[in-house]
Amino acid sequence: MPRAGHSLERPWNDSLERPGDAAMSSLLRLLFAPGFFASSPVHVALAVGGIAALVSGVVGTFTVLRGQSYSGHALADLSVTGGSASFLASISPLWGFAGTGVIAASIMEMIGIRQPRGRDLATGIVRGAGLGVAALFLYWDTTSTSTTGATVTILFGSMFTVGSSAIPLVLAFGLPALAIIAILYRPLLLSSVSADVAAARGVRVRLTGLACLIAIALAVSLAAVTVGAILSTALLVGPAAIALRLTSTPGRATVTAAVIAVASTWIGVVLAYDSFTWPPSHDGWPVSFFIVALIFLGFLAAQLTGRLRRVGG
Amino acid sequence: MQVRRVLAAIALTTAAGLLASACSAHPAGPSSGVIVAVGAENQYANVISQIGGRYVRVTAVESNPNTDPHAFEASPSVAGQVAAAQLIVQNGAGYDSYMNKIESASPDAGRKVIVVQHVLGLPGTVPNPHLWYSPGTMPKVAAAIAADLSTLSPAHAAYFRANVATFDTSLRPWLTALAQFKAAYRGTPVAVTEPVGDYLLQAAGADIMTPFGLQADIMNGVDPSPQYVSLQDSLLAQHKVKALLYNQQVTDTLTASFLALAHRYGIPVVGVYETMPAGYDYQSWMLAEVSALRKAVASKVSTEKL
Repeated sequence: MPRAGHSLERPWNDSLERPGDAAMSSLLRLLFAPGFFASSPVHVALAVGGIAALVSGVVGTFTVLRGQSYSGHALADLSVTGGSASFLASISPLWGFAGTGVIAASIMEMIGIRQPRGRDLATGIVRGAGLGVAALFLYWDTTSTSTTGATVTILFGSMFTVGSSAIPLVLAFGLPALAIIAILYRPLLLSSVSADVAAARGVRVRLTGLACLIAIALAVSLAAVTVGAILSTALLVGPAAIALRLTSTPGRATVTAAVIAVASTWIGVVLAYDSFTWPPSHDGWPVSFFIVALIFLGFLAAQLTGRLRRVGG
Repeated sequence: MQVRRVLAAIALTTAAGLLASACSAHPAGPSSGVIVAVGAENQYANVISQIGGRYVRVTAVESNPNTDPHAFEASPSVAGQVAAAQLIVQNGAGYDSYMNKIESASPDAGRKVIVVQHVLGLPGTVPNPHLWYSPGTMPKVAAAIAADLSTLSPAHAAYFRANVATFDTSLRPWLTALAQFKAAYRGTPVAVTEPVGDYLLQAAGADIMTPFGLQADIMNGVDPSPQYVSLQDSLLAQHKVKALLYNQQVTDTLTASFLALAHRYGIPVVGVYETMPAGYDYQSWMLAEVSALRKAVASKVSTEKL
């Protein structure tokens, strides 16, 4: 079979070689495959992935504190509906992810069932209906338009093909989410401990809850662009869960979660870039796998150290 | 009143339909002599009708130029077409494997199935399934179609043979254009989004600079590695290629970004297709692709859509 294509003759050569620090240079080479620092898809992935991870880490801490992990998961699944619709309308999937996320968050809050059991049921039913519509949209995407790979892009992300034009949009969705958490920091914490106490202190519990759900929806839609809609909950609750095991105050947990999320995203990008030469396909492993795997390993390590500490103490 | 008008309309359309089918069935009549055939892609349907002429009635399963055939999902109406067909031509090489499922769902010992990949003696794992872009493919397919049609309708064997000769002759302008391009522009570097036109480019002596891994990733709808994206970007931005062959049927944000780069840096674009675009037959389509390639390389003129 003719091998269409060219041997990769590395047009992305770095200028790492400087006389004097050969050791440093070879270490860098070991960590970063050639061309990492010059690659524009990598720059965009680091920027977009970094912002998404930062927002997910911060918002995720409150998601876990307020016991809304399942809502976060449902919002992630529902964003698939919007993502697949945006492919049909040929607009940036971020619009679809965020649009359906915010609408779904409002519906979930409107249903507003206080008991966790009823809330889970309502969330589950809305989530199922949304995914059914997503199935229809994805079918149309592949059968009536020429968008290929829409399903993989929506479900598992496509960080290296995002394009630098997405950065302003990512900021436009990320900053409001961070602002919500910053402004409602105290009321959110208070109402997550006890809704009654918060209400007695003058906190508008339902409005706060809605704002928090919207922040979760925004965070999840940003993460959907980087690691995909299905995996975005991993980025939302994973770093937060680790941070809450390692730290004792909400403030520290928030910062730690953000650092863990950004670090695992960036290390994931580096590993995905380095995996270019790995078997079996020799064209790289998906970045979303690395990020989620790193978070899971971090969670296991945090569990283990927690247990050791308990045994030791 | 309303009901009557509707009934009249139904009667009229039924009559028109009967008349139309009676006309198209000429000279053999609907059930006797006319061979019902299906081409999985419309380029194969086109060749069947060129060889079978008035003795076949052909339908194509895939002919929508706005969809990706790789992602095609068969509907019940396709199953009906296949069940009724006496002759089927399909590509194979995993390109239209849904056909195998439909065929095995309606087994028919008398049905002839031509798998182009088998006709060419290629393994099912052949990396580039777009076999019809190779100049060697269709003459062999045409001969196989004529052989099967002759088995189904021995009385018209000579007619089918003559049509094969006509078909082979009609490919000459395309083959000549390919040879002329090769003589003038051998080794011209080009970029592609997908392997769709690769066999044609190889026959034209062009040098495909895009790594096959990237082409395969885009074809299969998986996320390509950043190394490939950087390389393809540099091919366009640094004018290392003379043309970008852009698959109009398989587009996503990544291919759109390549197209935008080509526009920005003045790299001519040649649109290529997975199925035969409207207004062409197989020969004129292939000739149009080579003419578009030549225009791009020789005079920097884009032909984004045929």
